[in-house]
Parts: sequence; C-alpha cells; structure tokens
Amino acid sequence: MTSEIPLHAKQRLKGLRSGVHSSGVFTSDFSVNEFLLVRKAGFEPIGLCVGSCVYHVGIQYASWNKNQELDVLSKAMYHSRELALSRMRAEATAMGADGIVGVKLSIKRLEWDEHLLEFIAIGTGVVHGEGHKGFRAHDGGPFTSDLSGQDFWSLLHAGYRPVEMVMGSCVYHVAHRGVLASLGNIGRNVELENFTSAMYEAREIAIDRMQAEAGAAKAEGVVGVDIHEGSHVWKPHVIEFFAIGTAVLPLEQEIAPEKIADPIMVLSVND
Amino acid sequence: MGFFDLFKGPSAETLAAQQEGEARRADILLALHNGTVPTRVQRRLEGARSGKLPWIATLTPAELIAVRSHGIKPIASVSATCWLHHGWSWTEGHQQGWEMALRRLRDEAVAAGANAVLDVKMRTIRLPVEESMDFTLIGTAVSVADMPPSPEPIVATVPTLEFVKLLEADVVPTGLAVGAAYEWLVDWQGNAARAWMGNIEAKKLSQLWNRVRHRSYFELKKNARSRGNGVLAHIDFSQMFEVEQNERKRYLARHIIVATTVDARPGAPFPHEIKMAVDMHAGATPLTGTNRHHQSYELNDEEGAI
Repeated sequence: MTSEIPLHAKQRLKGLRSGVHSSGVFTSDFSVNEFLLVRKAGFEPIGLCVGSCVYHVGIQYASWNKNQELDVLSKAMYHSRELALSRMRAEATAMGADGIVGVKLSIKRLEWDEHLLEFIAIGTGVVHGEGHKGFRAHDGGPFTSDLSGQDFWSLLHAGYRPVEMVMGSCVYHVAHRGVLASLGNIGRNVELENFTSAMYEAREIAIDRMQAEAGAAKAEGVVGVDIHEGSHVWKPHVIEFFAIGTAVLPLEQEIAPEKIADPIMVLSVND
Repeated sequence: MGFFDLFKGPSAETLAAQQEGEARRADILLALHNGTVPTRVQRRLEGARSGKLPWIATLTPAELIAVRSHGIKPIASVSATCWLHHGWSWTEGHQQGWEMALRRLRDEAVAAGANAVLDVKMRTIRLPVEESMDFTLIGTAVSVADMPPSPEPIVATVPTLEFVKLLEADVVPTGLAVGAAYEWLVDWQGNAARAWMGNIEAKKLSQLWNRVRHRSYFELKKNARSRGNGVLAHIDFSQMFEVEQNERKRYLARHIIVATTVDARPGAPFPHEIKMAVDMHAGATPLTGTNRHHQSYELNDEEGAI
C-alpha cells in the first residue's frame, strides 16, 4: 500500500502525542467500517444516547372465539416504545446532536413479573462536521434512524436523508376454532378464512399506523421496513404485528445530485 | 384496564371502535370470498400510488441507490395470506397455499399500480391451530420508470439488488413455483428397513425416495411452465417417517420444493467484467444476497399429517 499515514496519526504512533484529549471523549457502539463511513458521510459521533422504560403491560380479555385487536395491549406496546425513544432523543438534544444513527430498539422481559417489560432504545448521536442544520427532523430536533452507519452513508448517497424512526403496532387476538368447525373439514384442504382475515386485519392496522407516523413526520417514504410478528408475554393466540422503518426525505442541497456516484454492480464470487 | 372497569359498560368510544372493527372484519371476509382486495388495503395502496401517502419499502438504503440508477420506484408494502387447513394433504397443501397467496399478492400489486413486487418473503406464523398452516407473502410493490402499470405485475422473490442484476443479464424473475409430492409405503414383508443385516441398501426406501422426488420435480416443472422457462430452486424440504400400526410398518416420504421462476433468454451476454472490490459492510453483506427470504421451512423435522 502506498497511501500516506496522516501526520496526526503518525505522531500518536510514535508516542509524540499524548492520549489525553482536552476536548472530551466521544462514545459510540460503531464498528470500524461504520465509524469510517459515518465520518465519510460528513458526520462525527459525539456520544451514545440511551432511553429506557420499564412498563407494566395491562391485562385485556378477549372472547375465545373472536378475532379482535387488543387495543389496551397495542397502546401499551406503543406508549412504552415511544417513551424509550423520546428519552433517547432528549439525551441527544441535550448533547446538541443533529441526529441519532444505528438505533437499536429492544424489548426484554423481566423475570419476576410477566407483565413487566423493559424497553431500551440506544443509538449514537452524531453532528454534521460543518455544522449543517439541514439534516435535522421536521421539528428542529435530531433525526432518528435505525440504519447502521453503512446504511446511513448509502442512504445519503441514494439522495435521501433520514427523518424519523417510525413504527406501527397491533396486538391481536386470533380466534380459536370450535370443535364442530374442525370436524367439517376432515378429508379436504380448505382455507380457514377466519384466520386469513385475522392476519390481514392485524397487519393492515400495523402498516397503517406506521404510514400515519411517516405522514406526520412529513416524510416522502419509509425505507428498510421490517414487518414481523412476535408474542411477548401473552397467551398462544395473541400476537403482535410490528412494522418499523426509517422515514426519509429527498436531499435538497445537502449533497448535490450530480455528486452522487453511480453504483457499480457486483457479482460476488464468495458464497 | 383495571379490575373494576370490568363491571362498567363500554364507553361510547369503545363501542364505536368495536363497530368499526366489525365492519372491517366483515369487509375483509367478503373480499376474500370474492377474490378482491379489502377496501382498507385498497385505500392505502391507492393513496401510496397517487403520492398522497408516503411510500413504504422493505429495501435497504443501498438498494435505493440501485433504484435511482435503474428507475425503479417503491410504492407500497403489499402482502397476502392464505391460512389453509390440510384435512386432505399437508404436503399438497403447500402448493395450494402458496398459489393462493401469490394470486392475492398480485391483486394487491395491481391495485398499487405496480410493474413488479420485489423482495417477496415467505412467512409463516406458528399459532397452535391444529392441522393448518399460514402461507404469507410480504413484498414491496414498485413501478419502473416510463412503464404503464402492469395488469399482471411480476413477483420476484429476490431482493432488489439481485433483481437489478438479473435484469441487466436479460433475465426476469417472474414468480414462485412449488412442487410437492408424498407417498405412503406399506411394508408388507417387513423388510424395508433391513436393520438386522449389516451393510445393505434399503432398496424399497431408496425407490420410495426416488419416486417421490421425481414426482415433486415433475410437479415443479408443471407449475413453473406458465411463468417462465426456468427455476432457481431455493427451498428443498424433505422428510421421511416410520409409523408402526397393527405390527406393520408404514413409511411416509414427502418432498416440497419452492423455486423462483425466471424468464431467461438463452445465450444473452452479461455486460460486466470482473473486478476486485472491498466490501465495507460489517458482517452479512447485501452483495452476496444471502438474506434469508423465508422462515416457513426452518425446521426439517416438523410434525404433521401428510
């Protein structure tokens, strides 16, 4: 390799420069590639932002043989995630971040009480290297995004910027099947329309809510959407449909479109 | 909701929400019956199509770059489900279930004014409902620049980057094909497994496998013919069981193959040369396209009737 090691780095290698920084220390959970690409995108990490929330999820009863949304539980899953995320965002605002990248949102069950859930949101606060404020969210606060550093760089080079992490949740009770109903279908393959329609309704509610959040954030679209199902603490016929993604807006003048390189297609010879 | 709330009547708000829910469920059931898209889904898709609602894409940001360079525009997330009770045959139900889900997915794509559905994932929710399985497809409907909406959008079970790569090579991924077959073998002579004889081929079982596999590949071909001139088989699922009943052994062999169908022009040149590159992605990279696109066949030892 013929590339020069910068003077600053050389001095540190030679031991000429002390490791003590007057300007403070940044914290992040970046990998090496992530760190380099976030900087390449023009941003500097300033610190990890954390928000957590321990939430007591209420109880809701559903009729045994009925499809329905369990709105009390939906609201709980929403409210608790919202609390964790807004606390994380408040921390970022306090440290003057323009945005948070690589947000990881996780849910943990607490051992001693099945109704207690712990929600944790953690991400790395970043500032624009040249103090550009155009990357902030529509309300002037830091943007949030669950995209990794690599994805963040890619997104900017696709001509978009992240605005807000958006999500939609629907906790749903799927009806049980009566014994008589099951007997009628012996010897035939038939669709259980009741179950099919339960999936449709629950999924639609979750997607709708996520889309509404993106609309409220004045976004053009939502990228990296994941729609999945999970059951956290509930009975076997209760599932949560959860949609999550990053709402994005096209870049206006932050990166001129002509500066965006054309991608090169790669056929990997690795398996 | 507190304990004492149970004795109170529902509030007006709750009642209204309940009524809305009932109407929504009735509408979904009606749509399933008539083979149409449920009203609420239709409304969302039309909103996204006209740009009134934000677009929704399961694409990664890296894929958005390809979208920009190849004129592909995400519209909305589309999905379809068929929850099938297999009172007749579990194995053959897979063909039936995915086929139905595929048709419904295509209907949603038409409603979204799409040319294609990309990144289609096969999913199954495991609820403890006896003898039944959920066949769900989720993907992103996209339109291609300067093309009118297609009356029959193609369904691509590959992620966007792979889709673009295939297109550049003049190959169009067109959908899913399923081949499924099973057979029961009754061991009348009681010598199919030959467990007592040392090294020897269990011929009857070999032949059983042979027949079942050939039949499922035949079914796959038959199923794929209407969609393209080739398949890339990505799921190969097989099981064999021994069942003992009235001191007689019976064997069940079943085989399911799921494949992406492609429409390829033989001998089309590939426009790229090979270059070395460094991939900055940490861990799994989208370049290799090894993202798992299904979780419906995770276990190879699942119980179930035929």
